[in-house]
Order: sequence, then C-alpha cells, then structure tokens
Amino acid sequence: MLDTAFLVRRQNPGFLLTSLSYAGGLLVGLTVSAMLLVHAGVPASALVDEFLIATFLTSDGLSQTATAALPLVLVGLASAVAMRVRFWNIGVEGQLWLGAIASTWVALNGIGPEALRLPTMFVLAALAGAAWIAISLFLKLRWGVNEVISTLLLGSVAFLLVQHLLFGVWRDPANSFPVTATFPEASWFSILGWGQLHTGIFLVAGIALSIWFVMEHSRAGFYADAVGFNAKAALATGLPVLRTAVGLVLLSGALSGVAGMMIVAGTEHRLNQSVGNGYLFSAIVIAYLARAKPLWVIVVSFALGAVFTAGNVLKVFYSISEAMIVLMQGTVLMSILMAQFFSTYSLKRPN
Amino acid sequence: MRGIGKSFDGKAALRDASFRLEWGEVHAIVGENGAGKSTLMNVAAGVYVADGGYQSIDGEAISLRSPLEAAAAGLGMVHQHFRLVESFTVAENVLLGLGRKSKVKTPADAAAIVAAKSREIGLPVDPHRQVADLSIAERQRAEIVKVMLLGARILVMDEPTAVLTDEEARTLLSFAQRLSRQGHAVVLITHKFREVAAFCDRVTIMRHGETVLDGAPVADVTEADVARLMVGDALTVAGRPLSRPGDVCLRVEGLSAQATAHRQNLNDIGFELHAGEILGIAGVGGNGQEELVACLLGLEKIDAGAIMLDGEDISAARPGKRREAGLRIIPSDRFDSGLIRELSIADNLALTTIPGGSFGGPFLLRRRAMREKAAEAIDAFDIRGATPDRPASLLSGGNAQKVLLARELGQGLKVLIAHSPSRGLDMKATEFVRSAIRRAVEAGAACLLISEDLQEVMSLSHRVAVMNRGGIVGCRQAGDVTPEWIGGLLAGHA
Repeated sequence: MLDTAFLVRRQNPGFLLTSLSYAGGLLVGLTVSAMLLVHAGVPASALVDEFLIATFLTSDGLSQTATAALPLVLVGLASAVAMRVRFWNIGVEGQLWLGAIASTWVALNGIGPEALRLPTMFVLAALAGAAWIAISLFLKLRWGVNEVISTLLLGSVAFLLVQHLLFGVWRDPANSFPVTATFPEASWFSILGWGQLHTGIFLVAGIALSIWFVMEHSRAGFYADAVGFNAKAALATGLPVLRTAVGLVLLSGALSGVAGMMIVAGTEHRLNQSVGNGYLFSAIVIAYLARAKPLWVIVVSFALGAVFTAGNVLKVFYSISEAMIVLMQGTVLMSILMAQFFSTYSLKRPN
Repeated sequence: MRGIGKSFDGKAALRDASFRLEWGEVHAIVGENGAGKSTLMNVAAGVYVADGGYQSIDGEAISLRSPLEAAAAGLGMVHQHFRLVESFTVAENVLLGLGRKSKVKTPADAAAIVAAKSREIGLPVDPHRQVADLSIAERQRAEIVKVMLLGARILVMDEPTAVLTDEEARTLLSFAQRLSRQGHAVVLITHKFREVAAFCDRVTIMRHGETVLDGAPVADVTEADVARLMVGDALTVAGRPLSRPGDVCLRVEGLSAQATAHRQNLNDIGFELHAGEILGIAGVGGNGQEELVACLLGLEKIDAGAIMLDGEDISAARPGKRREAGLRIIPSDRFDSGLIRELSIADNLALTTIPGGSFGGPFLLRRRAMREKAAEAIDAFDIRGATPDRPASLLSGGNAQKVLLARELGQGLKVLIAHSPSRGLDMKATEFVRSAIRRAVEAGAACLLISEDLQEVMSLSHRVAVMNRGGIVGCRQAGDVTPEWIGGLLAGHA
C-alpha cells in the first residue's frame, strides 16, 4: 500500500522523455475521445474514415482544415504571448468580438479608399482588440483586479455589444435577421481557388513568423522570458518589466482582434452572433499544448482545425452535438497536461 | 541531550551540543542566528534525526525518529511557522493531529477537549473558529493548545515572541512560567536577554553549533556575560579600520518606510559609505535588513529621506537607472531577486547589460556574443559544472553565487550591496566570495555588507553598524568594537 510518496522535480527532462510523454498523452486523449464518440453512436469503423481520411487525405478536407486553422493560429498566439508574461487572458473572445465589430464598421461604411479597405480593417481590428484588453490591464495595474475575472467578464460584455448592434442598427435590412448585410467585396480576402482558403493565410503566416522571430531572437523576447519566469529578479536586475508586460498584453489583445477580422473578412463576409463562439477555449488549449511557443502554435492550430473539420462532418452525418466536440478537445488537453506533469516530476517512495 | 551532532549537506549545524532540562523550569536557549538553537530543538522534537549523540527523558535513553514519536514521549514543539491548516477550524486541526488511533473521532469531541484544555491551562482559544481568521497571537495559542493535547509535558517554543506585541509577549511568557510551576518543562528559544532575565529559570548559550554555557541559573549571569558568550570569538578577528577613507560614494539620510503586514518599518536610517570601504551592518534577521536592501535597490518606495549615490539623489529612480549609476547587489536569496532559474547561465550573466545595449541594438539580440562572454566568465570565476547554455537552476549554491559575482562585480561597479553573501555556502565557496568582495573594494568600490553572521561582518568590515527594529542603533570603527557593545545592541538595549 502506498501510504506516502514524494513528487520530485526532474532536474532536466530529456527530449525523448518529453516527446514520449506528450505522444502518450495524445494517444490516451484520442482513445478516450474515440470511446466517447462510439458511445454516442458513431460506428467505430466510420471514425477512422471521418477523422483521418476525410480530414487529412482529401483535398476538400485539407483546405477546410487550413481555413479553420487561420483564426485559431491568431487566438493561439494571442493566448501564448500573454502567457509568456504570466498574464492570463481569458477574454480572447471579447477582444475577438471587438475586432470583428471594428472591421464590420469599416466594411459596412466603406471607410477609406477601396484599395486600402482590408489594411484599414486590419489596423482598426487590432486597435479595438488591444483597447478591450487594456481595460483589464488598467484594472489590474491600478487596483490589482485579477485579470482572469475581468477579461472573462468583459468577454460577455463584448458579446452583448455585438447583440445590441445586430438587433439594432446593423440588422440585415433584407430579411430582418440579426445579422449584418453581406460586406462589399472590397472587404473580402480573395479566394485562392482551393476550397474556401483565402489570402488571409499570407497575413497569418507573416504575423506568426514575425512573432516567432521577436520572441526567440529579439531583446523584447528575452525580456518577456525574464519577466515571465521571475518578475522580481527581472525588476531587480533593471529590466523594463512594466513596459514588457504591457506591450505583450496589448499585443495579445490586438492578435485576438485581428482573429475577429480574419473570420468576418475571410469566411463569413458578415457579422453574425456565432462567429466568435468557441475561440476562447481553443485559444487556451492551443497555447498550453504549444507551451506558448509560436511555431508550435501553428502546428497545434492545424491539428485543432482538423478536429473542427471532422466535428462538422460528425455533426451533419451522425447528429453529434457541438458540446461533444468541445468535450473531445478537453479530453485531449487534460490527458496531455497530465502526461506533461509526469515528465516534469517523478514519483518517489520514501526509503 | 549529550554530544549531539547534525550536518546538512556536509556542513555541520551542530557539533557536540548538549542540553539538560529539568521538570518545573523555564529554560532559555540563547544564541546568534545560525548558532544551532533551532536545530538542536528540532532534533529533540524528532523533526531531524541526529547524526550522533545521546538523548534521554527521565534517565531513559530515547531515539526519536519523527515528531509523532516525540509527541508520544511527551515532547511538543511550537515552531516559528505554525503547523496549522488554515482552512480548518482549531478543533479540526487538533483532530488531524490526534490521528486515527485516538478515541476522539468527531470535530465536536475535539472541540470539547480543546475548550477543556484551554480552560485548564488558561489560554483562551475558540475551537470553532477557522485558523485563517485568527490573529498571529491567537494562532500561537491554538498551536500551543494543540501541542499540549497531543500529550506534551515538555513544551519547546522557537522564538515565540518575535511575532508578538510587547503586551502579548508578556502574557505568553507568564503563561510559560505558570505551566512550569505546574510541573511541566518549557524551553524558550530567544534572542532577547530581557525575556531571559524576567521569565526564565536557567539559560543555555549556543555558538557555532556548540553549547558554550550549559544551563546556568539566570540569577548568576549578567547581560554582559550573555553578550560575550553569544558573540564569542567572532571578535578575535581583528577589525581593521580604513586608514585613509576615499570620497563618500553612498550617503543615506533619514530613510524611513512604513511597516506593512509582512514588513518591518524603517526609521530614520542614515550612514555614509566611502570608496574603498566596507561598512558592515550586523543584526538579528528580521530587523529591517530585507526592507533596507529593497529600498536601496528601488524595489520598495521610501516615505522620507534621500539616497545619494555620488552626490545624486537616486531615491526616485527605478532599479535600472540605479544600476546604470553603479549600484550592484548580491541578494540574500540568489534565486529570488538575483538569478532566474529557468534562463541559461549565459542569459543570466547578460541580464543586467542587455538593456544598455551590450549585446546588440534595441531590436536584435546577439546570442553568440552572449555565449562567448559567458564562457569567459565561467573560466575567470572557475564556475564548476557550468556551460553557457545550461539553465541556472542546475548550479550548486556556491557556483550560482559565482555567476552572480561575475555579473555584479563587472564593469561600472561603484557601490556593492552584499546581503548575507555567504549564506548556505561551504568554507571554500565562502572564502571565494569574501576575497572577491575584498578585491573589488581594494580596486576602489564601496561595499555595504548586511549580514546576520557576526563573524562575517567582523572579518570583512572596516566599520560596523548594528541594526535593530528597523533602525541603525550604533556604529563604530572596526577596532573599537567590543562584545558588550555589540551584544547589547543586538539584543536590543541601545
């Protein structure tokens, strides 16, 4: 009988151990998810078909996955950069909504010359997202309000704002549904001719690579690591702690805002009540699984995009509910996090 | 207890310590920080197992392997940090301590015995209140009642009055006296001679892990005796005052800062530090040393006063600016505010100079230059087990301190604040650190050495000041320091 045991932090977990535990966690998570699906009525034989073949091995599936991954990369990065300085941005959805509102405003009112329409939407979406997170940041710095609470609750406020607009001034005049009219084509990312995939992919790739470069090779990235690991020591050694933290938190908000723009200008071409749903949880999952590393964010976002694609198929053909898809994401996340725990600590019995 | 020895990581904390306690007495154990008082009592209470020696209770040899065995033998200890679960009530904490074999099974039963015990020994404790809601003094009373309920007839208290107001301390000490008159025995670990004189029957003095005065009646010893025995041979190290002090490097005037929940206040601290000089600040830990360092470094705001570095007031500047002006620090806790565990050694060495642009412009970072520079420092300071890319967390204490020295003693050093620079280090590493500081000072820097280790202060300093209750209570040239003077100030009788 194991009465007592100690958790001992491993000095330097090797690459092999880390990868093995990661893979092990993924496998357990997928197995449990598969069992859940089978229990919900999906024939076991169809699982492989829908998941692997339809998602990765058909041109349609792959383009859909890539399209779905674009906003995921942005929200994943948003969550990751804030995580680097230990700021828990649980309001990704709120900032995303604000970005979507800002770009919708530009698109519907035709602000600026047509050639600059998308860049204008991009800039305003980024500013709107940053402004929204700035509220939480201010509350934290001024009165010590926990950002987990304030960002989360401001997410709901942002959604109410969207509803206010959709049921008010922006209601579609054609049929009175609570969605905006379709944007003029100048506000669309052009289609690349492969499924729904659009030119937004270049913007996302550019952003992701720049953030990777900044985090790994620049002075700001170095400051971010120092501040995130030990803010007190960073302050005592004379680093600009406040500036670094504020900069990265605002960047996080801006990235979420751009994700909102990516969705309305890339795939929906209008604002409706569902464009932002589910991105908060996905952002956290991606940032955790990628360990806040920008390049891994891209990889994990594609994997999650695949889950969404497969989920859509499951929803349509096997009437699996949306909640089931979220449940699967959660299962995979928890099992990988548990596996990571055991690659960081070893279990020792007292002698 | 006879001939007790105990080492941690090869460093002896106790060597040949002895202690004799009689029923019906309050017995004080006095000594400097690190003299081995707490270690000896932790051995007695079964927290540590001694490496060697003989222990007995009522003439019967015992060998305690755990606090539970000690409790069964009638020995209970109230630690400086209470062993209470904050989210439980007092009664639930007692229930937890009693364990499975006890007859008391429910919180209600436990509450009843807590109330009864509290009445019996005259310490008011409400069994139904949650520990988190209790004040420090109330928690201490709860802890005492708990320890007594677990069967303690010998009560050991580790600096119980350090966290109390004077009034609360008097109440507690008279309780200890009352308890001893009922036939129990009480051991009091303390720094304060006043408490010893007023409330204790006998006193044992420890120094460097040895017993130097074994249970003398309090009436037979004077305060000067205690001061001399506590300080001991630390003063045989000849203090060498500086013959020709350089210009004033650092002047602190009337520095004050308000106390907060976890912070000692600082009142009207003033001193001058000259180039080429080491000013040692001695004092028992927790008398404002941490706070002083934080204020000098710019981590805490000051309420009044000025900090002049080379004639310029830096008291409003942020830490980075103070560094640029030549202020450097060796903090008492290396990994709290000096080094960053998770970063590589190269990163840690470059930490302070990157903002100034020594490794690339405002945007790009020149990692290769950082690595090369780190490799040089590792050679120059003989940092064992280090490569530029290894994380700092893998270094031993001594080698981590060398990384810190390599960084802080580098270019631009004018004033070095060294806070307990050899804490936790072995002899060899200690000597390395001290000679590195000496060399830096001979090269023209000034050093403010803040340490709880009197031997360290005496062996390095040109002048010695003593800190007590947030103020500087005295300052002398190293040659004029006497045991009576320093002992009296340490114990708080300025």
